Amino acid sequence: MTPAGSLLVAHDLRKAYGPTNALDGAGFNIHPGEVVAVMGPSGSGKSTLLHCLAGIVTPDSGSIMYGGQEMATMNDAQRSALRRSQFGFVFQFGQLVPELTCVENVALPLRLNGASRKDAERTALARMEQLEVDDLRAKRPGEVSGGQGQRVAVARALVTDPRVLFADEPTGALDSLNGERVMELLTDAARSANAAVVLVTHEARVAAYSDREIVVRDGKSRDMERVV
Amino acid sequence: MTLDDRAHSGDGHSSAPNRSAEGLGGPGAWIRELGLGIRFAAAGGRGGWARTFLTGVGVALGVALLLVAASTPNILSVRSERGDARKPSNVMSSSSVSRSESSFLWLAGDTDFRSDHVGGMLLRADGPRAPAPPGVARIPAPGEMVVSPALRKLLDTPAGALLKERLDYRIVGSIAPSGLLDATELHYYAGSDRISLDAGAVRAAHYGYSPRHKPLNALLYLLVVMICVVLLVPVGIFIATAVRFGGDRRDRRLAALRLVGADRRMVARIAAGEALFGSVLGVVLGGALFLVGRQAAGYVRLWGVSAYPSDIVPRLPLAVLIAVAVPFASVVVTLSAMRSVSVEPLGVVRNARLRRRRLWWRLVLPAVGLAILLFSDRVTPGSQDVDPATVAAGTALVLVGLAGLLPWLVEAAVARLRGGPVPWQLAIRRLQLSSGSAARAVSGIMVASAGAIVLQLMFGAMQQSFITPSGSGGTGRAPDLTLMSQDRNAVTAARLENGLRRTPGVRAAFALTEAYVSGPEGSVTGLAVADCAHLRKMARLPSCRDGDTFVAHNPGDAAGNRYVDQTARPGRAVTLDDYGPDGPAPELRWTLPADSPVVMTVPAPMGERYNGILATPGALPAGPLPGARTSAGVLTDPRGTDAVDEIRTTAARLDPTIYVSVRQNEQRDKEYDTVQTGLLVGGTLMMVLIAASMLVSQIEQLRERRRLLSVLVAFGTRRSTLAWSVLWQTAVPVFVGTLLAAAGGLALGHVMLRMVQKPAKDWWVFLPYAGVAGVLVLLVTLLSVPPLWRMMRPEGLRTE
Repeated sequence: MTPAGSLLVAHDLRKAYGPTNALDGAGFNIHPGEVVAVMGPSGSGKSTLLHCLAGIVTPDSGSIMYGGQEMATMNDAQRSALRRSQFGFVFQFGQLVPELTCVENVALPLRLNGASRKDAERTALARMEQLEVDDLRAKRPGEVSGGQGQRVAVARALVTDPRVLFADEPTGALDSLNGERVMELLTDAARSANAAVVLVTHEARVAAYSDREIVVRDGKSRDMERVV
Repeated sequence: MTLDDRAHSGDGHSSAPNRSAEGLGGPGAWIRELGLGIRFAAAGGRGGWARTFLTGVGVALGVALLLVAASTPNILSVRSERGDARKPSNVMSSSSVSRSESSFLWLAGDTDFRSDHVGGMLLRADGPRAPAPPGVARIPAPGEMVVSPALRKLLDTPAGALLKERLDYRIVGSIAPSGLLDATELHYYAGSDRISLDAGAVRAAHYGYSPRHKPLNALLYLLVVMICVVLLVPVGIFIATAVRFGGDRRDRRLAALRLVGADRRMVARIAAGEALFGSVLGVVLGGALFLVGRQAAGYVRLWGVSAYPSDIVPRLPLAVLIAVAVPFASVVVTLSAMRSVSVEPLGVVRNARLRRRRLWWRLVLPAVGLAILLFSDRVTPGSQDVDPATVAAGTALVLVGLAGLLPWLVEAAVARLRGGPVPWQLAIRRLQLSSGSAARAVSGIMVASAGAIVLQLMFGAMQQSFITPSGSGGTGRAPDLTLMSQDRNAVTAARLENGLRRTPGVRAAFALTEAYVSGPEGSVTGLAVADCAHLRKMARLPSCRDGDTFVAHNPGDAAGNRYVDQTARPGRAVTLDDYGPDGPAPELRWTLPADSPVVMTVPAPMGERYNGILATPGALPAGPLPGARTSAGVLTDPRGTDAVDEIRTTAARLDPTIYVSVRQNEQRDKEYDTVQTGLLVGGTLMMVLIAASMLVSQIEQLRERRRLLSVLVAFGTRRSTLAWSVLWQTAVPVFVGTLLAAAGGLALGHVMLRMVQKPAKDWWVFLPYAGVAGVLVLLVTLLSVPPLWRMMRPEGLRTE
């Protein structure tokens, strides 16, 4: 049963990599505009949960409903189209195409959706301004700092106005100052766009930017009471 | 403890301050750092091994090809030795020895079946001690034959039934390898009691022909030198490319070493150690590949060439040179590559800042090469002093120089490209950022294409020096097949013609008996013997009955007709000459009837004109004519697929000694054919190797980008978008490389043609190579798709 108003809901997800059970009955739900942190120790299955929720990995069993539609019924092309149009992604590192300039990187999802180059880059630049990286437009990823690169990645994730933003350890490779700046910009931009954010992290200070926390341990998930 | 830990604990703690100073030189430092590099290559986990393996496989392919090249002298020499050993000792002179207990008669029985040549010999022992050919226990008895295993296999198949009719002997044994050129050779020895000296056979007492060494035609020598350079330079470039596989990740690892105190020289030596391990592994794998691959040689026949595995043995000095030079070259290449990369403690500078390639020094090599060739001496077929070193050096410099030009040209070309759809943009941006590895991968095909264009230009221009026209020519019509019987007692022209006309696929046949007659002053003219119906097809006859003779003149050929008249004088005697295998035989004098009229020839059904004496059988003495030959021309139905083999079978049934030749517009010189075959075989191997190298390089690049590919897929990039991007990324450098190959090949070809003083026959020879390049791009892309698909899997996103 789908909780009322939920945008993305998962039940009893199971996923094994060889003999290792990455997910063992995990569940999840998120509402539009909500920021949910998925926490847990290394190897607990939190990234696998994110990959399943985003339709990148197909779970062995269980159900994932997005906008009332069961994702298991979608084929690879449909899931790819969903990711292109409805989801955005930020990863820890290695996500920007090194050959493209920053503005081209940000414009890439729009171009994959069929936008013209000019329109895509205009929209991309607006997002980059919002994330205060518009001055990097002509630089390549190799020429910018880690924090700047991550803000470019956030701009790219938000450029299609996604309904869900998946962020997998988005500050894992940054120092605390840069990490906090990226999280501020990420959550502000997501909230202003009413996008839900699935935030995978093992850092409490990063999770503090969320509305709700879920802990994954040994492939099982449970909601945490926020201790203030 | 990780490898890094081990490396650092050895270098970084107790002796780190001193190592920097030590690292500046000394054999001890060299050995230590090479050893560290080898440890990185050998103990780098799965990823490290994968990179080492890729390098090893790349080098192995090159080494295997080099070993095949190093074996070529032995392959050719043992083939030649076995071929000479089975020839009767008087094969060239055709002068018979006297009959004895240990002599035998032989007659060549070669034939062709479809596209295959079937070598053979008819043998007849004069006594019990007559020796058998190599690989055979005894001379087969009449009606029996021994065959090569390949021929036995062919005769046992339904496809060989037509050949079996022709070789109508009972198979009593097989020819051992010592009597064959290779395992796929079609060869037989048949016993026959129908062969005789009169029938064209030759008597010999033993086998083993010792050819006199004939110096190779200078033009051919030049071609052979060119072929060696053209085939081996790309192999060298390929090996140089292979030792740089995985260079990007290695550079990042070396940056980590810089962070803990390794200086630039140390990291260069460590990188050299890694390359050394990969190349030594490649030499070992290449040796194994060569040993395994040569076992398949007996099953492979390329353009009629095959070899026994035991023949494919590299010359020892060459093998040693390969084993030493390849690892050494890998170290040199790595050290020179490291010079263009600045590995700093916080990363590789190359990744952050692009340095434009300079053109000027890249022009030096091809310019010097062209200058050497331009100032070399001209070569003519009789030249005695062709300097192979100069030609090889000049050609190699041009080809290597072209390889050096390619990265600059690719960079310059892609720098100007803008816009386009996403796959195009991804590919172009990738090339703009780093076109070096793509250009290196393509440089092999570029150099091979340029070299092949040069060779094709030279072949085209020099062809005239190596071809001899066959057939009468000039009439515009010629028989599809010509048959010639050596047996002056055997078939009559009429019997041969009737037999041929009944053969399936024959549209027309025309046979007659021909001989030569000489006049009193030694002048010679032809004598054609046929019935009136046939003679009317050869000349305009006022009337004709059996017993008539004519003197035939060619219209408009006054000089030739005067020569005919010197011999063919009506009322005067002429001599029928017979220069058989044993020299002049007793001559036969015959008087040309005084009432022989002069008639004008017309083109006979097969297009020839027969001037000289035309005679009906009744005008000549009964019995065989000394020196006469029966010849026939045949026109075949172009729709008949097996007509040629049907005719050969008919001919063999009528007379096993009949020589059948199929019309070809040009009959190539055998040496020319051999050289061209070598080029085809080598070129094919080269193309396969290049395709493999491009594929390995492509997969290596994809491996480096596994995570990025997974991320791109995660946010919804279509797989086809990335596949197109891979295609463009391969196609653009190949396109630029093909342009350079065409320009460089045509320029080098022009210089070479100037050297041999020949005009170019066809400047469009580069088109097939452009086509091959296109096919290779598609092939490499297609084969890259499965690994691309695999590397786009979400597993690439996992970090735990």
